[in-house]
Amino acid sequence: MSSLLLLNGSPRGKSANTALLLAQIAQGWENVNEGEIETLHLTKSADFERATKTFGEADVVVLGMPLYTDGMPGLVMKFIEELAPYVGKDGNPTIGFLVQSGFNEALHSRHLERYLEKLARRLGCEYAGTIVKGGGEGLRQMPPSWTRKLFGRVQRLGESLAREGRFDAELLRDVAGTERFTRWQAFWVGLFTRTPIGRMYWNGQLKKNGAFADRWAAPYAKAAER
Amino acid sequence: MRITIVNGEPEAHSDFDRYVGEVAESLRREGNTVRQFDLRDMDIRGCTGCWGCWVKTPGECVQSDDSAEIRRAVVNSDLALLAAPMRMGFTSALLKRMTDKLIPLVHPYITFEGGEMHHFKRYDRYQLMGLLMGADTDTDTEDIEITTEIWSRMARNMKTRLAFAAVADREAEEVARELTAVA
Repeated sequence: MSSLLLLNGSPRGKSANTALLLAQIAQGWENVNEGEIETLHLTKSADFERATKTFGEADVVVLGMPLYTDGMPGLVMKFIEELAPYVGKDGNPTIGFLVQSGFNEALHSRHLERYLEKLARRLGCEYAGTIVKGGGEGLRQMPPSWTRKLFGRVQRLGESLAREGRFDAELLRDVAGTERFTRWQAFWVGLFTRTPIGRMYWNGQLKKNGAFADRWAAPYAKAAER
Repeated sequence: MRITIVNGEPEAHSDFDRYVGEVAESLRREGNTVRQFDLRDMDIRGCTGCWGCWVKTPGECVQSDDSAEIRRAVVNSDLALLAAPMRMGFTSALLKRMTDKLIPLVHPYITFEGGEMHHFKRYDRYQLMGLLMGADTDTDTEDIEITTEIWSRMARNMKTRLAFAAVADREAEEVARELTAVA
């Protein structure tokens, strides 16, 4: 029996796609381990403070985040800076990470993954691995039939974490999905993203806000200043 | 050349802060027009992932803070130099909080470049990107490599490229000369 601390590093807080994925890890963990689970949302200052204080007390920590301009969100980097006192301390927790991105290919998150793996080493934590999930934008809006398979896999990752102290490598590959599109896939997906259906997710929101006509606005362009 | 320095050093008067100042001075002596933003003195609210800058007020952040001034300067310069001390193996959170807010400069629509998904451009032209890292006591070559790699990826997604990356362990004048040559 061991304790699990889930840290949600999404600036969207409780309503984040990241939070939804962390909840699946918790679900899987619960299936095989009776230890205590706590979830903290780093957007809330009380949670942020508690996370820096209790980091060393948990047996296992999973820090989840969305990919923000190819790295961790500023909020998560702020938290990582606060972990400096834990570097090289005895009894640090096992740590795993979750990175989800809007882009479909996993490759976008691999550089951040490399940083996180090094961070685990720097802290002197056992590294449980990093769950990389592309195409994570809009997960919340998807019907259950679209997310069932993904959530099942993330739950099983939670189970493997509880059992073996690390994420199962095969499941990590399954969840990551497409690493890089083949040339043909890139061609077809590229065409699709230029169609009205491919742009529906953004166009729908633009229209709802009455901003569709302004979607190409370039407010800082020199010409716009005249 | 117009060069915008985005300084993510949280402490005023630190060695790195002085160094950034020296680079700025040398750049001016080389004939560049330099504008420096010290993020620690500015009101930069963190990106909340609301996508308002894409679907409500296209191209502009819905939060009114000092970040708009920086975005305007960045996209209208020839080179944006991101400067920050290393903390826990990466450039400071202060810098990242600001660069998260460069996302209004691109478009939510997706395009394929080099077989990868990237954002559509919003502007006709973009500035080059440079990176200046202040080493911490525990910084090693792997940290520098990882950090440079992440910022190169970021530059690529922001419709530009990382044309310069260096650790602040050389003469400021030398750095300024190199920057002038690439900008």
